[in-house]
Amino acid sequence: MLGLELERIYKDFGSTRAVEPTDLEFREGELTALLGPSGCGKTTLLRMIAGLEAPSGGAIRLGGQEITARPAHKRRFGMVFQSFALFPHLNVQENIVYSLVIAGIPKAEALQKGARLLDLVQLGAFATRRIGELSGGQRQRVAIARALAQEPAVFLLDEPMSALDAKLREDMQVELRLLQQRLGITTIVVTHDQREAMTMADQIVVMSQGRVEQVGAPKAIYDRPQNAFVADFIGKANFFDAVIEGSRLRVGAALIAAGELRFVSGAEVCVALRPESPYLDTAEVEGTQLSATVTFVRDVGPVRDIHLDTEIGPMVVECSRGETGRDFVVGQRTQVTLPAAALHVFPREQRRAA
Amino acid sequence: MLLRLFSRVFLGLCAIMVALPIVVVSGAALNSGRTMFFPPREPTLARFGEFFITEPVWTQALANSIVIAFCSAFLAVLLAWPVAFGLWANNSRASRLLAGLGSMPFALPPIVFGVGLGFLWAFAGGLGTLWAAILSHAALFLALPLVTISIGLQSIDRAHLDAAATMGATRAVTFRTVVLPQTIPYTISGFFFALVLSFNEFIVTFFVSASAYSTVTLQIFNSLRNGYTPTMAVAAITFIVVSVVVFSAVARWGDLPRLMGAEPSKT
Amino acid sequence: MSDVTQASVVPRRQQSAAAGPAVPARDHGRILRQLLWGVILVLCVAPFMLVFVISLGHKIEGASWELGFSFENYRRVFVGANWPEEITYLYLQKLYYSLYYALIAAVLAVVTAFPFTYLLTGLSRRAQAAWLVFLLSSLSLSEVFIVMGWDVLLSNRSGLPMVFKETGLTQWLKDVGWFGQLREWGLANPRNIKFKTSVLATVLTMAYLVWPYAVILLYPPLSRLDRTLTEAARTMGAGPWTVMRSVVLPSLRLPIFGSVLLLFVFLLGVYVAVTVFAEPAKQTMAVSVYEAVRGNTLNAPFGAAQAVVLLITAALFLVAGQWLSRRGS
Repeated sequence: MLGLELERIYKDFGSTRAVEPTDLEFREGELTALLGPSGCGKTTLLRMIAGLEAPSGGAIRLGGQEITARPAHKRRFGMVFQSFALFPHLNVQENIVYSLVIAGIPKAEALQKGARLLDLVQLGAFATRRIGELSGGQRQRVAIARALAQEPAVFLLDEPMSALDAKLREDMQVELRLLQQRLGITTIVVTHDQREAMTMADQIVVMSQGRVEQVGAPKAIYDRPQNAFVADFIGKANFFDAVIEGSRLRVGAALIAAGELRFVSGAEVCVALRPESPYLDTAEVEGTQLSATVTFVRDVGPVRDIHLDTEIGPMVVECSRGETGRDFVVGQRTQVTLPAAALHVFPREQRRAA
Repeated sequence: MLLRLFSRVFLGLCAIMVALPIVVVSGAALNSGRTMFFPPREPTLARFGEFFITEPVWTQALANSIVIAFCSAFLAVLLAWPVAFGLWANNSRASRLLAGLGSMPFALPPIVFGVGLGFLWAFAGGLGTLWAAILSHAALFLALPLVTISIGLQSIDRAHLDAAATMGATRAVTFRTVVLPQTIPYTISGFFFALVLSFNEFIVTFFVSASAYSTVTLQIFNSLRNGYTPTMAVAAITFIVVSVVVFSAVARWGDLPRLMGAEPSKT
Repeated sequence: MSDVTQASVVPRRQQSAAAGPAVPARDHGRILRQLLWGVILVLCVAPFMLVFVISLGHKIEGASWELGFSFENYRRVFVGANWPEEITYLYLQKLYYSLYYALIAAVLAVVTAFPFTYLLTGLSRRAQAAWLVFLLSSLSLSEVFIVMGWDVLLSNRSGLPMVFKETGLTQWLKDVGWFGQLREWGLANPRNIKFKTSVLATVLTMAYLVWPYAVILLYPPLSRLDRTLTEAARTMGAGPWTVMRSVVLPSLRLPIFGSVLLLFVFLLGVYVAVTVFAEPAKQTMAVSVYEAVRGNTLNAPFGAAQAVVLLITAALFLVAGQWLSRRGS
């Protein structure tokens, strides 16, 4: 089935380009996360999809039909705003049935539907509360129910978790994902939190400086970042600069074995290494061994971050509990093994700070 | 500790100073004779009867004051709304100029505006009519609802407008269902500010009434040189009570500190 | 004016994308806009224009006037009617008193209102609202009533002079010899002290008149003052007075200056307080305007010319203030 398609959509504000020409596809019933640091154009992209911002060029199609010129109030894509934008002069129930009432649906019918939506977001007892009396989490549920009331073709959420505290955020991510799967609604979530994106999304669109850096399933993006920006922004990574020497990487005096390389010898590259991929003090794994000194140990319970000083520079290695039984103390000497497959190699100039 | 005591005393002194002439005027209203004394001699409430019921000079003046105040405040709000809205929606040079021109009479010495209005109505033929006074006060106090409504419009989260649009609301529907309800308290506040100030206004009324009719403030001013009578003090009390009631209402239903320019309260 | 014709009833940002243009609504918008401009030009701008136009005209017999084009009235304001044979500064003197009273009263009001407002903004929101109700009531109270109240308070037969006499204060002043000094200042008659008519009474009443305004003007900047600033200063060892002098006052220099300026301009137009409390020789231009237009002399063009002078003086101060504050910030 055809979902929502963007074709060469771009946006200029005056002389600055907020969104570079972008092609994207949002499959029906899937949840896509637009992920990137603030100012990367993800919210502008979402607002263009909602019809709140007119694209400077390009086309938007829904189910194969062009809707680029259709105004927001005719698209009627339900949207949850960062601040939730609940109307303070209306109570919970009135907020939820707002779209139905202005569409001229009889009040009784609208209220009936409103009650079902309230149950859906588990706020049945709050129908007549004022917005000011609700907690952040409750407000978010109201905002979600309100956006869903009109049964939108596409459901949009702009940083929906940013107003919630950390604990609640994780619960709501799971809850929202379950709700979305149950309703089978095409959903687009804007977020700057990669954990949030990975928790909820079928497809992640990583953006930076108005450009799409990579599109793919969460795991694919994590395991196979296409460039240094994605490697840095999604998850953590150790970075070091290297020069290609055949099938190996030269970093200072050290030579490190790498997997398949698409670079000629002498090319300057940037290497990313996830902190969970190196091994400490083991001879059983294949890979390049480097000697290292422990400089700091950060123990946060389920995992320990071991900060090392190695031949090729500082490095952080993450050990989950039980993986290595032994303790590490600052100043201790150790061996770190870098498996060739764990090294992600990118051209040097691509690296930009996230 | 000493500082706290000092601030208490200082606030108290300020309260006494502000209240002092009001208290004196109020006390003088209880005089039974024709002259003002404080403290009052032979306290009586007869003056209240004179003011509200028996003396046609005062009752007519009171009626005029009320008509002018209500009509001009209503008109001021009616004029201020589109100006404030244009300012908020477009913020163009033209809308800023319009708002500036509309606020000018309130910002400049009222005696100049009063003289000018006197000339204006002499030309237009409205001198000495109530409607001229109504229009004049509406122009003079236009700035007040203009300011309160602007504050109200600014307090609307622009995301609310976007939210309404994504739910199928056209501009007109958004205005009716989102903008208007959220600015009603501010509109009412503006109305009351204009109402109370019009009620108390003197200079402009003086120039546009051309002695054809009188309002309470005019009546008091006219008898200024003949010496005060306790009935005038009754008028003063009435005015104070009206002001306190109106502003208490604004404070009760609107956010008075916010209207006066404090940070929005976090509730 | 092209902006004006581009009528819209909704924020531009939304306009760009939401609802397509409805042609009839746009027409209505334009008509409404033109009507609004018309009304405001007639009601708010035309009176000032008329004052200016009529100030160039001259009086004709029978208390009427006709339009003209001469600066005769202005000449009379600045150097007297019989210039150049004889120069009189009678009206410039009135302008001087206008400025004199207004300046002292404005400074007095702000100086006393500042500590009050500072303390007020430290109170709870409820207490602030209560105070504001009280202040707004006092502020909206007609000049006429306030003058009436002070008149009763300061009059010789009742009020403060009586209090002085009854409590023996008058006698004490006579005993220590300060009474003579008060008489020289015009604050006493042979038997008792008197406040009417004097510069002191005029200025005090005027300051009182605008005191609530001063609070209202100082309220926004003071309530938005970042209290962590003062707290930071205190943790660094500054006492309350040092905090006030080194942190609060410097950061509020502009609002304080602006308040004095606005009150000053407002006070230029005060009429009732001056007629009641000022000595006949020390009346202001506002009173003179009133006398010329509606009072005994009935010379409207001359009154208009004085009004224009007053207006230009006010405008000059406002512009100069703007300029100074822009340089200061």
